[in-house]
Amino acid sequence: MAENREHRGAVEAELDPVEYTLRKRLPHRLPRRPNDIYVNMKTDFKAQLARCQKLLDGGARGQNACTELYIHGLGLAINRAINIALQLQAGSFGSLQVAANTSTVELVDELEPETDAREPLIRTRNNSAIHIRVFRVTPK
Amino acid sequence: MSNAKERKHAKKMRNQPTNVTLFSGFAANRGVKHHNGGGKPAQTQKEESRSGTLQQLETKVTRHSLLDPDASEQSSSKVMFRKKGGWKAGPEGTSQEIPKYITASTFAQARAAEISAMLRAVTQKSSNSMVFQTLPRHMRRRAMSHNVKRLPRRLREIAQKEAEKAVHQKKKHSKNKCHKARRCHKNQVLEFNRRQKKNMWLETHIWHAKRFHMVKKWGYCLGERPTVKSHRACYRAMTNGCLLQDLSYYCCLELKGKEEEILKALSQMCSIDTGLTFAAVHCLSGKRQGSLMLYRANRYPREMLGPVTFIWKSERNPGDASESRQLWIWLHPTLKQDVLEEIKAVCQCVEPNKSTVCTPDPLLTPPQEKSQMELPDEKIGKKRKWKDDGENAKPVKKIIGDGTRDPHQPCSWVSPATCIVISDLTMEMNRYRLIGPLSHSILTEALKAASVHTEGEDTEKTPHCWWIETCKNPDNISLHHRQEAIFELLGGITSPAEIPAGTILGLTVGDPRINLPQKRSKALPDPEKCQDNEKVRQLLLEGVPVECTHSFIWNQAICKSVTENKISEQDLNRMRSELLVPGSQLVLGPQESKIPILLIHQPGKVTGEDRRGWGSGWDVLLPKGWGMAFWIPFIYRGARVGGLKEGLVHSQYKRSPNIPGDFPDCPAGIQFAKEQAKNLLEKYRRRPPAKRPNYVKLGTLAPFCCPWVQLTQDWESRVQAQEESSVSSSPNGGESDARRDEVPCAAIPEETVKLSVNEPREPEEAMDTRCQGQAGTERVGDQDAAESSAAATGGLLCVVRERKLLKQLSAWCGPSSGGSRAARPAPGRDQQDLTREACLSILGHFPRALVWVSLSLLRKGSPEPHTMICVPAKEDLLRLCQGQLYCGPQESKHSDPFKSKLLKQKEKKKMEKRQRRGSAAPEGLAGEDSTAGHEALTLGLWSGPLPAVTSHCSRVLLGFVTQGDFSMAVGCGEALGFVSLTGLLDMLSRQPADERGLVLLRPPASLQYRFARIAIEV
Repeated sequence: MAENREHRGAVEAELDPVEYTLRKRLPHRLPRRPNDIYVNMKTDFKAQLARCQKLLDGGARGQNACTELYIHGLGLAINRAINIALQLQAGSFGSLQVAANTSTVELVDELEPETDAREPLIRTRNNSAIHIRVFRVTPK
Repeated sequence: MSNAKERKHAKKMRNQPTNVTLFSGFAANRGVKHHNGGGKPAQTQKEESRSGTLQQLETKVTRHSLLDPDASEQSSSKVMFRKKGGWKAGPEGTSQEIPKYITASTFAQARAAEISAMLRAVTQKSSNSMVFQTLPRHMRRRAMSHNVKRLPRRLREIAQKEAEKAVHQKKKHSKNKCHKARRCHKNQVLEFNRRQKKNMWLETHIWHAKRFHMVKKWGYCLGERPTVKSHRACYRAMTNGCLLQDLSYYCCLELKGKEEEILKALSQMCSIDTGLTFAAVHCLSGKRQGSLMLYRANRYPREMLGPVTFIWKSERNPGDASESRQLWIWLHPTLKQDVLEEIKAVCQCVEPNKSTVCTPDPLLTPPQEKSQMELPDEKIGKKRKWKDDGENAKPVKKIIGDGTRDPHQPCSWVSPATCIVISDLTMEMNRYRLIGPLSHSILTEALKAASVHTEGEDTEKTPHCWWIETCKNPDNISLHHRQEAIFELLGGITSPAEIPAGTILGLTVGDPRINLPQKRSKALPDPEKCQDNEKVRQLLLEGVPVECTHSFIWNQAICKSVTENKISEQDLNRMRSELLVPGSQLVLGPQESKIPILLIHQPGKVTGEDRRGWGSGWDVLLPKGWGMAFWIPFIYRGARVGGLKEGLVHSQYKRSPNIPGDFPDCPAGIQFAKEQAKNLLEKYRRRPPAKRPNYVKLGTLAPFCCPWVQLTQDWESRVQAQEESSVSSSPNGGESDARRDEVPCAAIPEETVKLSVNEPREPEEAMDTRCQGQAGTERVGDQDAAESSAAATGGLLCVVRERKLLKQLSAWCGPSSGGSRAARPAPGRDQQDLTREACLSILGHFPRALVWVSLSLLRKGSPEPHTMICVPAKEDLLRLCQGQLYCGPQESKHSDPFKSKLLKQKEKKKMEKRQRRGSAAPEGLAGEDSTAGHEALTLGLWSGPLPAVTSHCSRVLLGFVTQGDFSMAVGCGEALGFVSLTGLLDMLSRQPADERGLVLLRPPASLQYRFARIAIEV
């Protein structure tokens, strides 16, 4: 860890677009279960909402319906994740509840050298993430 | 006499030998002979037959009565002769006087010659149709070809002969063994060996041939695409699952020698401008795979040879300069010849390395020796093992697997000066590519690290002594354990995109056939392994340590022993059947093979903003002979297999150029374009003219090829013309207001540029106008020779690959004005504005260059290869802003000047034909040149020299698309292609800042233009 910090300090000092190209890597993520929804900013909001709704509703007679759903949002998509969760809740007439968790995700940026003499560098940064559990409660 | 009748007659007589058409003037002939004594009967007859017409009935009657005495005095065959044509005498025959006497002997002699000619003509069939095909339709019967008795009796004999001949021919070609004998393993292997003599087979050939459309390409038999409908399924496998490809046809060149010598030699062939070279620190240590473009020595940026990837073998004790290093260069088979020659030249490796003593490379052993070594051990039961080596019973021809290669041709060269040894390791290894996020779980499930040999086990029986030797050293064992640990960590990483690009991991694994599952299943990542731990984190941050990249696959001797000591499938199955508990795990202990492999990470999409890391995966290198043993386990873990087409889709969605099609400046690319143009033209010609697009009317000059040279030249002259007009006349309107203030300062450098390029232009254009489209690129060489000195600065086609310039262009291409896109890298200190001077300095360096661009369509439309990229006019952009539904302008229909020419030609030909039929004399010149002209003209294609390609249509042509399709990854049409650098800069400088980078696309068979956004990804 200490070594990493050193690395980072070094990077700040010598980061130069002439000598390095920034390549962002994908965030590390866990294997996806069927009831995990990763929210992004590219897909249409409505489509993502519909996808969640479909998972909760299940098939024609309600088979394969999930009782709980995890909506993950990272960075810019946090807003949207919250939005989706709240929309789901609002449209459920009180049968759905949400529970949110926040976390920090470590992201890795690779700095590709432009000259032969340099090693590729790694820069880590943190980004916030949200994991919302949407679950069905039996209305009493 | 009616015209139709005459024609009918002419048609009837067409196939008759010339000396048979005498009947029309028989009597006249006799009259002539009366004078010359039957000297040249044939000639005179011909003359008369030309003017011959049908006679009246009464003349026929009279002639019959007249001829009868003649017939009686000649041979019996005369009867037929008369029957056939005797009554067809010309009127002039009867008009002439009947001779008073004839000399029997001369007359008979002349007739005899004619009769023999006729007999020959009758017995010899002129057409190549079967007898029953010559029958008129009403006389044909069902199954005539099968049963001779259904034919009229007079034809039976000939038909019988024909049928026998056909049977005989068939028999010669058919298998001379019964089905069972053919399926017998030994014979089958022989047959397989025979069939792979011309085109190399990969080890997975049989597997592929059962499931794929196979093509013969680049000297190999390769699976092109699966026979099942799986385009979308393969895309999904790449995105969510795992797609497996056999890339064993890729060629590997090995360089051995001192590090600095190799670097010094190879540095001439690449340039730091295009990216990292062989000397990049992390590649040189052996930690990562590198990729670069190779050029002819010191010819950058011209004369590209092709893209390659390379890996250095990690050094055992770093810092030792005297140590011999090993470098593998992997490249596409189409590039191999050129690259190998060039590398040999720069390394000064001229001597074929024959002696096996001085180099430990086992490859250098002559092929005969190797085959003899293989002879003793019995290999009847081994199925297709060492297909490269062929069968032991036969004189082994192939070692490398290259059937076209002469066995005595060296595959290794040594340089006396630099001591570099170059070897050609083509087909010595298998290379499998796994693409997609599930490749980690498939790899970790299918491969298990080899068990370490312990002292207690008996070592007598095992053939894997190299492993026992290795295990004696505790360092090696600890290294093996470390490699194993890292490999196991991979299972906890859900996507290969998280791993540093180009990571290399060496490993020694056990036989993957041992733990083959009973059924095909899908390997899924194990959540337990994915717990966030420090080790995974370290792997992601730092990659694989240098030591762990070591693999025994670098050692040829070990590879050979591994290949030879493979347990055959048959033996393995026998052992399985002998298990006490059926279906239980087979334990071979020390007998189990240990296979050294190398895993190389392949970065996915690294450029651009979206879909980062898409299509990343791993390449697995295996020693030869083990192909199928690894292939099936991968498939049993849920990998889907793709062919060449899937590889193309992969590179297209990655927006990376495909080899060799997207390298128009390298010889392989030129060759590819030529072949493609030929195939497309053939396909086009096969359709009837009414059922194919008329490209002339559509305004498509080159639908099957991209005339790059002409495009760049046209742009050059176009820009010059604009400059001249803007200098002479006052710049008009807002169009060139951006340039107005630049004109005074730009005028001077412009002049120099103009001067330097103007001179060689004339002869070039003359040459270029001759060659039509596809020939354009191949003439580059000639042109280069012609313009000797001017070529130093420009003249030859080149593709811009300088990273700095590409970054600059990429920044210019976007709609930059607002700076709204946060992701756009902030302009550095070298980032210039798009000014006249900047453009000029770029053009000075790259006068006729192409730029690789990616295009995504704004609205509708899916582009296809050879789609034209055009510059939008002002009103197009205006209408695009106004109307939400505006798709794009339409090209107005062009006129087809060739159609009338073609019709005229056809008419002329028809006339000639008719004339020729009327008068059977051969006509030389006129007929010949008309047919020659006809071949050049194809309805719907531009023939002859292409006019100015850029200004042929209403929108100015900028470039061409080389790959394009609807992209399932983005959900809209996407294309990749090249545009002219001159044109691109010209277009960008004219477009307002917020609409920069908008172009129009028009497929070759459509009149509709569609809007697309251009992007250059670095």
